[in-house]
Amino acid sequence: MARILRGSGKRSGVRKDLGVPGGLDRRSVLKAGGLLGAAAILTSNKAAFAQTSGGPTPPVLCGIDPPTSPATTPFRDTLPVPPPAWPVLLSPLPTEAANISGGEAARANHQRWAQFLPLLHYRMNAAPSLHRHHSDLLPSYMWTFNGQYPAPTPLNFYGVPSIVRFKNNLPEGAQNTTFGVPEITVHLHNGHTASESDGFAQDFFLPPLFKDNHYANAYAGIDDFGGIGDPREAMHTFWFHDHRAAFTANNNYLGLNGMYIVYDAKDPGHELATSGSLRLPGYYGITDIPLILTDKRFCAAANGRNEVFQVIGNGAPGGDKWVVNGKIQPRLTVRRRKYRFRVLNTGPAKAWTLSLIRPDGTQAPITVVAVDANFTVSPFVLSNTPLNVQVAMRFDIIIDFAAFPAGTSVYLKEATAQNVGVVVPDPAIGLPIGNVLMRFDVVNREPWFPADTPAIPGTLIAMPDPIVPDASFQWEFTLVGGQFLINGLPFDHNRVDHVVLKGSSEEWTLANDVAAGNWNHPVHIHFEEGRIMSRRVRVSQNPDVFQNLPLLPEELGRRDVYPLPPQNRVVLRMRFRDFVGRYLIHCHNMNHEDDFMMARWDIVETVEELARRRQEIDQRRMLAGLPPQYKHGGLV
Amino acid sequence: MKRRELFVGTSGNTCVQGVRTCGTADLIPNVALRTHDDVPVRFYDDLVKGRQVVINMMYATCEGLCPAVTSRLVEVHRALAPRMGRDLFMYSITLKPNEDGPAALRAFADMHGALLPGWTFLTGDAFDIDTLRFALFRHNHIKFDLDPNFHAGQLRIINDSINRWVHVTPLASKATVLQHISWADPPKSYEQRMQDNRALQDEIGREVAKYGYRKVI
Repeated sequence: MARILRGSGKRSGVRKDLGVPGGLDRRSVLKAGGLLGAAAILTSNKAAFAQTSGGPTPPVLCGIDPPTSPATTPFRDTLPVPPPAWPVLLSPLPTEAANISGGEAARANHQRWAQFLPLLHYRMNAAPSLHRHHSDLLPSYMWTFNGQYPAPTPLNFYGVPSIVRFKNNLPEGAQNTTFGVPEITVHLHNGHTASESDGFAQDFFLPPLFKDNHYANAYAGIDDFGGIGDPREAMHTFWFHDHRAAFTANNNYLGLNGMYIVYDAKDPGHELATSGSLRLPGYYGITDIPLILTDKRFCAAANGRNEVFQVIGNGAPGGDKWVVNGKIQPRLTVRRRKYRFRVLNTGPAKAWTLSLIRPDGTQAPITVVAVDANFTVSPFVLSNTPLNVQVAMRFDIIIDFAAFPAGTSVYLKEATAQNVGVVVPDPAIGLPIGNVLMRFDVVNREPWFPADTPAIPGTLIAMPDPIVPDASFQWEFTLVGGQFLINGLPFDHNRVDHVVLKGSSEEWTLANDVAAGNWNHPVHIHFEEGRIMSRRVRVSQNPDVFQNLPLLPEELGRRDVYPLPPQNRVVLRMRFRDFVGRYLIHCHNMNHEDDFMMARWDIVETVEELARRRQEIDQRRMLAGLPPQYKHGGLV
Repeated sequence: MKRRELFVGTSGNTCVQGVRTCGTADLIPNVALRTHDDVPVRFYDDLVKGRQVVINMMYATCEGLCPAVTSRLVEVHRALAPRMGRDLFMYSITLKPNEDGPAALRAFADMHGALLPGWTFLTGDAFDIDTLRFALFRHNHIKFDLDPNFHAGQLRIINDSINRWVHVTPLASKATVLQHISWADPPKSYEQRMQDNRALQDEIGREVAKYGYRKVI
């Protein structure tokens, strides 16, 4: 508001910036500014609305043909670490019902509000800012949370519920020259989150509204186990990202994502010998470091910028620069001790095939301790196979740099090469510079640096009880007439494709039946972690002939992203506990997701409602000439 | 529009930073086409510039998706009739320009009850049409992009004045198609969106009271 008040004599200018009829003028701000209560809150929102035209100058696009990104000198920048998000005291205070007059977006009341009153508040302000991906590049125009890419990381604790207030201050109308859409709905992947805080794809909201996402920071199984749920359902490495229907790739490519960590006694965020702690490397940003991966493509320098080449149409053009925590080919100085890296692929579409390479070109081992935020029962070591990280997957890995002499460097290799643009000798034997994602420079540990943690325990967790399904269901992923479909239909937020009962369990089969397609679909299911039971692949022209595939080590534990290569079928089991509402299953290749390879499924409270809703689905199918989906009046 | 802008071209090399239509003009080929009334037009300059438009690909002898798509578009047109030809336009571009001249397109439109205000069927040079098809509908997948039929099942919605591109399959429900078109509507005023937000909240409240959670909206 101050900016407008200072802009004396620029009344017409303010009107023009708004670009909307009935806009804000100086006199009305001055007048309303004298009022108290709701009117004042509304005015400040309205002022913020006017200010969405502020910030960096909107970018000028660099055409339709993917450019070759400018040259970047390898290892010029150090690896940045997203700072921890500062807790704040939100004003107006979060409320159980949407605070409409205070500027909150419409939503259902928070579920289990009184049980999980949020003690920790964070604010994430979505707005344009400039970000420099490399010191050789000029800044790029991005959409970020709190002006940072990647966003600051909220550090949380099980048992301490939080609210994250996502405020939409993105530019719109003539001020938006990007292919992003200034309407956001933020999903915490893969929080056990009530529907109204889950970032449902249709629940996007416009500037200048905000939305409070309520994260109970409780384990799944609240109803069964009481308190904060079943600790065996612990998850630690989450990420939040925009989930706007049809524009998720665009908005994420512009930078609207970040990591979210939840600690507990097993994984306490420090390395001290406290009760129950696994004592893994655990100081955030020091020995426990996010590696947030994405690919980008940059326009040639113009107007003082190297803009990111815009995602257009159905398919992202794909990047030609590999970006870690917002930097291209960074370096990180590491001490000769164990480190934990939380590897996250934020997409939009690229899958990463990573390995650790010694200067002699041989592969060094990495130890995987967590898959998709879930500790594995036992750690497993990748010494001659790569780490495959598809979109939205997280792998927590431990690298013991004590295995390397001080003064040497080891490299994180990506199987596909990026465009570096400067001639550099291979840093390791058989390792072209283009394949290097980042470099680790090994030094001796200084006395002030935390001492190494004990050996990684052989057993990390006990798995939750086996899931005994009450029913089964199949989701078929296909492509017809250029349209990605699930069970024959594109996403329609008003249409429910499956309904489950709160507290029940089901066995779901994911089937990649895209004829003639060579696409892999990293399928994500919101709400709870699943357990993969089996995987099989179609092996002949006969559509019913399948061969079982052995499960990989990363498929033995709990997951929330299920890779679905061509002609594969994955059988998994999951539970639906504690909350009701609308949830999603979708391909997390964001281009496919935006092409509506996504479906809505609901959790309902009562058996009567379940039967009623399932009968509605079958009636709709009958009208479309399709066989029924359920038996026994919708109960099975 | 300022008077000065009237005299500044927005295509080619005349782009100036801050003139937003530059980018969009680059993305949408300004190819020469003919309408079903045999009127010569430039695709970007005459049909898309500054407008909200709904675009699909079809051909007159198509018996697969095209009739179903066209009938869905007729429904959509009916629902949006007050806007059609004013601030919203529909364009159906033939995938077989060598077969579909203006007369054939006119006959197709007539047969499907699609000779309606604000709805134009378009033909042109085959290379230009392919250029347009790729610019508007490509999947970046050679297998699918080279098969024109894969682009017959898509609608591209563009609002050039706000630089918004949306796509949807016309075979989705009518409500879904209408909603996607609305996603390209110009931004609403502050007052309007606050009013909409409050109305949505009231609707959610009613739903939750009735079903226990948000069922429909």
